[in-house]
Amino acid sequence: MTMELEYNRDLYGVEHEAGPFEITADLIQIFNRSIGETSAMFTDQATAQAAGYSGVLAPPTLVTMLVRNVELPDIELNFGVMRFHAGQRVQSRAPIVAGDSLMASSHLKEVYPKTGRSGTMVFTVWETTFTNQDGTVVADVQESYASRE
Amino acid sequence: MPDQNGPFFEDIDMGDEIGPIELVATDENVSTFCELWGNPMPNRFTSQEIAEKSGLPGPIVPGVMSMAIMSQALTDWAGPESLKDLDLVFRQPIPHNKPLLISATVTDTREEDGENIIECDVLMMGEAGERYVGGIAIITLPSSGE
Amino acid sequence: MYLDLHSHSVSSDDSRATVEQYVKWVQVLRNKRGCTIDGFVLTEHRKFDFDKDYSQLAAEYDVLIMKGSELDTRYGHVLVYGVTEALAKDIDLGDVKMDARELMKAARHHGAIAVPAHPGRFGIGLVDYMEQGETFPGLNMVERLNGGSRAGENERADTLCQEQNYLGTGGSDAHLASHLGACLTSFPTDVRDERQLVEALLAGDFTPVWLKDAK
Repeated sequence: MTMELEYNRDLYGVEHEAGPFEITADLIQIFNRSIGETSAMFTDQATAQAAGYSGVLAPPTLVTMLVRNVELPDIELNFGVMRFHAGQRVQSRAPIVAGDSLMASSHLKEVYPKTGRSGTMVFTVWETTFTNQDGTVVADVQESYASRE
Repeated sequence: MPDQNGPFFEDIDMGDEIGPIELVATDENVSTFCELWGNPMPNRFTSQEIAEKSGLPGPIVPGVMSMAIMSQALTDWAGPESLKDLDLVFRQPIPHNKPLLISATVTDTREEDGENIIECDVLMMGEAGERYVGGIAIITLPSSGE
Repeated sequence: MYLDLHSHSVSSDDSRATVEQYVKWVQVLRNKRGCTIDGFVLTEHRKFDFDKDYSQLAAEYDVLIMKGSELDTRYGHVLVYGVTEALAKDIDLGDVKMDARELMKAARHHGAIAVPAHPGRFGIGLVDYMEQGETFPGLNMVERLNGGSRAGENERADTLCQEQNYLGTGGSDAHLASHLGACLTSFPTDVRDERQLVEALLAGDFTPVWLKDAK
């Protein structure tokens, strides 16, 4: 028999929202410092403004740091004692600049089992969409977590 | 607006290799990242003791941060507005203070909806060939005629 | 001819490569890197894509595209070539705890062949299970070269083949386009479809090779 996973399937189709997240120049600056980012478009307001933006541009993965602020429910998975971050995807839909205010909306995308070097694992994938103050979708983030026996 | 220092679409061909670009995540970088990320410290990303309790040889670089580093390497090469999609699998724990070698291989070039798209396989490796992170990136590039 | 007997397209949950990217990558290997690669088998995880037809892509790019499966078993992953609807009815392709021995038996019964993948892989390879005392009567071939192996894992597969006198195949285990063809299987005879692939494997006349040697 295919491995029967037990978890709360009622969570499919339910959106979990959080925000607003204010994208300040300071936030972008600290993010830049943490990864050693020095590109002028991300660090220098004059350069960003010369390119037609109202403030410095946020590096495309900055939104991934905001996902943890969305309170996601326990999916009540009947499997695994260890859980780790297995993968992540960011799709940039529109520029994010200092001064933007973002809302996040997350939903359960899929849950599936597989076996690997560490034995059987179950992957839980959440998808989060970020929208700016104008209602424009600026990014989609998928996070995949593996639960291990 | 295209970054004039970056490559043009016409310069890129399938099979081209980019990098490796060497970056390092220092202890200080990771602490700054965790603070901004809102992950209470000490944690397995910053503390030797907590990392060891989690079965790790030492504190590691968060997956989220490794993605930011990969992204930085790619936008550094292609331009700050170039990265449209970055899809990564975290394969092995990444240590602090060690060279992280980031490379990309161009697997497709195409024009789509008026944009010049290049698709790459991307890899973050250690000095001894450890494959820390792998995945794909979709990047848009300006045309030399623009 | 040189065939990559182990690859995954986006049909597998952990792959990021489309079949179109793979056939384009074959052109890079042929035209830019001077390698010979005639085709590949899409061995999707825990499934068989009965509904997928790649014949147009195959013709357009002159690449042989075959379909297979990589199934999870309680004794590691097993590549299955020549999957039929009857086999898929007989065994549950998604059962991650199936007995590899039962799978091998069912595969042969239905004209397919089951080959343990990356047997040297630590924690999940056949070598570990054999060291624990498991036996696999009738088994005579494994995947000897796997492009996704970590240091030491292909060497363990080598030792297994030497000690057990197993035949060995080669496959990239590609999950990304540029990894396709890293390891291949060399056949002295032409293979044109899955049925002929099974026949060629059963004939036992093949060798695993690294891409650099496929010239």
